[in-house]
Amino acid sequence: MTSTTTSENTILSVNNLNLVYKLDYYHQTLRDKFVKLVTSPIETLTSSKDSLHVLKNLSLDLKKGDRVGLMGVNGAGKTTLARCISGMLVPQSGEVKVNGIVRPIFSTNIGVIPELTGRENAFLLANLLYPDESKTELEVLIEDALDFSELDGFLDTPFLHYSKGMQTRLCLSIISAKACDLLILDEVFDGADEFFQKKITARVLKLIEESGAVLFISHSPDQIRQACNRVLVLNNSELVFDGSVESGIEAYQSMIR
Amino acid sequence: MTCGKPGPIIIEMNTLGHHYWKQIKVLTWAKMKSRYRKTMAGFLWVVMSPILLFVTQAFVFKKILKLEIPNYYLFLLGGLLPWIFITTTMDMCAPALYSSRDLLKAFKIPPFILVCSQILDNFINFLFAFFLVLIPFVVITGTEIGGLLFIPLALFNILLGTTGLVWLLAAMQVFLKDVQFIIPFVTGVLYFITPIFYPIEYVPQQFLWIVKINPFYGIIQPFRLCIYNFSLETFLPALGLGFCFSMCFVILSLIFWRVKRDDFYHYL
Repeated sequence: MTSTTTSENTILSVNNLNLVYKLDYYHQTLRDKFVKLVTSPIETLTSSKDSLHVLKNLSLDLKKGDRVGLMGVNGAGKTTLARCISGMLVPQSGEVKVNGIVRPIFSTNIGVIPELTGRENAFLLANLLYPDESKTELEVLIEDALDFSELDGFLDTPFLHYSKGMQTRLCLSIISAKACDLLILDEVFDGADEFFQKKITARVLKLIEESGAVLFISHSPDQIRQACNRVLVLNNSELVFDGSVESGIEAYQSMIR
Repeated sequence: MTCGKPGPIIIEMNTLGHHYWKQIKVLTWAKMKSRYRKTMAGFLWVVMSPILLFVTQAFVFKKILKLEIPNYYLFLLGGLLPWIFITTTMDMCAPALYSSRDLLKAFKIPPFILVCSQILDNFINFLFAFFLVLIPFVVITGTEIGGLLFIPLALFNILLGTTGLVWLLAAMQVFLKDVQFIIPFVTGVLYFITPIFYPIEYVPQQFLWIVKINPFYGIIQPFRLCIYNFSLETFLPALGLGFCFSMCFVILSLIFWRVKRDDFYHYL
């Protein structure tokens, strides 16, 4: 895989991406291997390793201003694609070219050191996500995010005692504090309550507008309508739709009917 | 002499290095705060633990087993404390990546900063414990320590070797879950075959080769020489050998990471 500069307006270019999960990633104990070898030696010795083709010949481009909703049923390959673009997973073939900084967010209820308080975790997370910010800029960013989270009195209690919703509030407030060239959001709204959902949606929408391009993974047509101007639909590891929001949502819904 | 402006790649590397260092510092501080937050004695426990172990061993080997080694307390201090630092760091860092898998999969964070911050946390504790024993000892007994100025070199060597070794173990743990169970067993055995609480002169000639190929001894010995029987003629070759062992760990860990990094997130 390569991750190099592309033409000025193109933020992301993916060409013929293929990713295969070998099933021995799921660990077998020596005992399991021994039992398999004894019970069916010929099959064990002759069979090739089981594998899952998770992304098949996938190609796409994201230009500046693209706010792309990525839809598909569970297991279609959405998160895997996002992880490939982020450089976390390396495909067997194909290439990913990114022009600028990618900031992928795959979970919103994770504490860096859960034993520390919410305020300290916010400080840590901000330092990990925005290392290029100066100390003063970070302080302002963190204070603003903490105010936004409205966790007030809970901020100085351990993060591990937070409910899932409170953890999501804190993480989302920090995550949504700064735009970047390519923002990847993987089902980030799950866990927040209805009141905070409305508030954070407005903030994330602002962030999405300020970012160069956005890949927004969601199962919610409403969120996709609000945030995106283009939809991609993945099915059985392949890209089956790339087009307008309404047609994309329709294509996705026809698959789950 | 004219100096050209650094190229873009060098600037990028410098910026990245600066970012990583900033993240490691912040994480180290946070780990130090979190480790004993709920305990009554807090940071004191971290420092007292190796000191208590040192006092106990010094008493047992000197007063009960009656090892006839001049200035035994200083001898033991120079070997035992770095040993505790290395083995504790191995124990704590080997599962560090795998146990942080949720965090590593949630955001794109360089994995090695998690391991480096844990190493630095342990290293600071080790330094505190070491100097907390050494300074009063030197003041009270009036012992002259010739190699004190060379301690930074020996410490750098220990830090380098430990970083290489634990990065290798932490990366291996992701692919092979047995690693964390093997470490206590191996360090338990190594403690007895590494001249930590006894001098190398006690090792019979036919077993000396075991000590010579033992990287732990190679890495710790220059540090001990700084505070015990220092002479430049013995220190420099020992430091050279220790540095070779440290670099072996660093190179091995880099090779392993290079070969396996594409599969890292699959196995995490």
